[in-house]
Amino acid sequence: MTTHGTLEMDSYRLAAYTVPCPCYICGGGNNFDAELCRHCHAPMALAHQATTQKIHPRMVAAIGPSGAGKTVYLGMLTDMLSRQVDDLQMLARGAFSIKLQQHAMAALSRCEFPNKTPNEPDRWNWVHCQVLRKRQKPAELIMPDLAGEALLEEVDHPNTFPVIRSFLAKCSGVMVLVDAPNAESGQSDEDFHTMKLISYLCELVTDKRNGWATRPVSLIFTKGDQCENCFEDPAAFARRHTPGLYQQCRERLKRHRFFAVGVAGQCGFRNEAHGRVHVPLRVEPRGIIEPFKWLLQEMGT
Amino acid sequence: MRRFPNWTLNKLLVGAVPACVLLGVATGHWTVGAGAAAAALCALAIRNPNWRPRWKWQVAEPTDENNQTVDWSPPPAPRPPTARRAAADDSLVEQMIAQGREALLLRPQIAANLNETDLASAQVALDEAMAIVPQGAVNMRARCYDDFEEADAPRGERLVQVEGFFLDRFPVTNAQYQLFVSQGGYEQMSLWDESIWPAVLGFTDETGQPGPRLWQQSKHPHGKEDHPVVGVCWYEAAAYARWAGKRLPTDPEWVKAGCWPVATEANKPVQRKYPWGDAMDRRLVNLWGNGVNDTVAVTASPGSGSVGGVQQLVGNVWEWTSSSFGTWEPTGRKVETAAPLKSIRGGAFDTYFDNQAGCQFQSGEAPLARKHNIGFRCCLGFCDVTLSSPSPGRGTSAAAATEREEVHA
Repeated sequence: MTTHGTLEMDSYRLAAYTVPCPCYICGGGNNFDAELCRHCHAPMALAHQATTQKIHPRMVAAIGPSGAGKTVYLGMLTDMLSRQVDDLQMLARGAFSIKLQQHAMAALSRCEFPNKTPNEPDRWNWVHCQVLRKRQKPAELIMPDLAGEALLEEVDHPNTFPVIRSFLAKCSGVMVLVDAPNAESGQSDEDFHTMKLISYLCELVTDKRNGWATRPVSLIFTKGDQCENCFEDPAAFARRHTPGLYQQCRERLKRHRFFAVGVAGQCGFRNEAHGRVHVPLRVEPRGIIEPFKWLLQEMGT
Repeated sequence: MRRFPNWTLNKLLVGAVPACVLLGVATGHWTVGAGAAAAALCALAIRNPNWRPRWKWQVAEPTDENNQTVDWSPPPAPRPPTARRAAADDSLVEQMIAQGREALLLRPQIAANLNETDLASAQVALDEAMAIVPQGAVNMRARCYDDFEEADAPRGERLVQVEGFFLDRFPVTNAQYQLFVSQGGYEQMSLWDESIWPAVLGFTDETGQPGPRLWQQSKHPHGKEDHPVVGVCWYEAAAYARWAGKRLPTDPEWVKAGCWPVATEANKPVQRKYPWGDAMDRRLVNLWGNGVNDTVAVTASPGSGSVGGVQQLVGNVWEWTSSSFGTWEPTGRKVETAAPLKSIRGGAFDTYFDNQAGCQFQSGEAPLARKHNIGFRCCLGFCDVTLSSPSPGRGTSAAAATEREEVHA
């Protein structure tokens, strides 16, 4: 007994498998039903949205050393913009885009910080969203929550994480997060790590017209609640406490600005089985939206 | 030698000017007349440099039927409960009441020396400014209470007995704090803890003058008279309270005023999550979600009062309490901090999560921190004041309070 129908369906499926579906981030070929890119582990939903809905989002990265507060910042930013009806609003595209916000907010409302972002790219949270602004066209953006350790690994040993390399090369703007209390306390590691990141960016795309030297970079001092004076004049704070970064930005980046943000009003720590855990004593965001707003303006979206 | 009074000589000089002119014209020696008139004018000018002739006709003041002067000036604007002014000729008692320091007058040592009228005025002022919170038990919850399983929940709460007390109906406003600053509160070292004396010189505003951090030239921001004072550290709040004859509320006192526990047959009292009930109502409070992003007047949300009439316990500004942070955490779940913190309660205009503005939520801040979103209100124990006309449920003096305790026992 023959089963013609089944054979026919299979052949269609086989045919579909033969057509490569390029990843939106790294451009690598994938099967049409892949959930994550097999090369860079970015969600393939981005590629499907690009082909079927003709949406070509621009990319924005939040980078910084491990523990600088990238997950908290991005989570807080997405939540604030999706909650407030103001001149800037954010609408998530696809359920996967809400995971970061959900993860960060669930932790903060319990007065905990979210867990460290794992190094494996397939476990990162990606945000694809539409940003609505008054009297301006909506902007489509992709913002992944990159792991700080993976970032530094890629900077020290290029091509360890191809997804980071291809993503940063395509980014239209970047937010560099710096731990303000660490910088204030004189830990030069903070300065060196951010200098490495800026240097990596500038070497990544060296084109004079379209390279990182001309793309907008917002430099954000995080955890401002623990060093109030960084809010007064972030640029002066950078000059005093991260002189290397300040000088490098002045010399190598044409469009950059310093900002200060804070999410927790005050912090403490609790002794858990696996060691000391930092806990926020309350959540009162300060200056979260300004760096993002400036970046959007500079990107000209 | 007899001296003319000033006004008589002035009148003579004024009269001399036309007289000299007329005499000069009539006699033909007009130069002499003009010279004499000019001399009289010069003398008048030297004697009274600021004197102006009143050429206007005097208009009789309108009077009422009883032949008393009617005041046509517009009626005074209704004053918020937190801002009162004292006239210079007020008696000391009236001035102290106007400054919001009636609690000092009602201290047993001082009240004994006041007459009945003054005592009654002070009591009325106290009733206006402060609400009564009766004595009773309040259930204090740890921050980590929600993390416990049901069986373990008792580990995260503690029943605390609180004596009856008065609590400010509103947080202390800029206008009230201005009086403290203007009266030299930062120079009266007796108001400050001795340990903090070296730091008091550093409690300055943006211009380096004594005052809250965000003020300028020891003056509060214009148009924010009735906003709660912010930018004051715990010690400044405590000094103000001492100046006003009051103190900062303890943690259980603050929670009791907000949660308003009701003793039932159950083991623990029934308590509210927010002063008005168990559900958040964003229209009643100034939190991040409202989009104001700044303090509002203390009278801005009249519906947010507690059962006892204490307003704005939740939202607008965090409030310092006299207790230490972390007192209610069970062993093994303590939150450690670099330095000891003081407890703050109630959430502020930039508090993001509703659950962190609830009456049971405790946060902490360093006692020397002068944050933009922390204010305070004061309280006063029943036993600290003398009240002449006792009312049910209210203490009248230390002796009466003791007596009541014995009855309860």
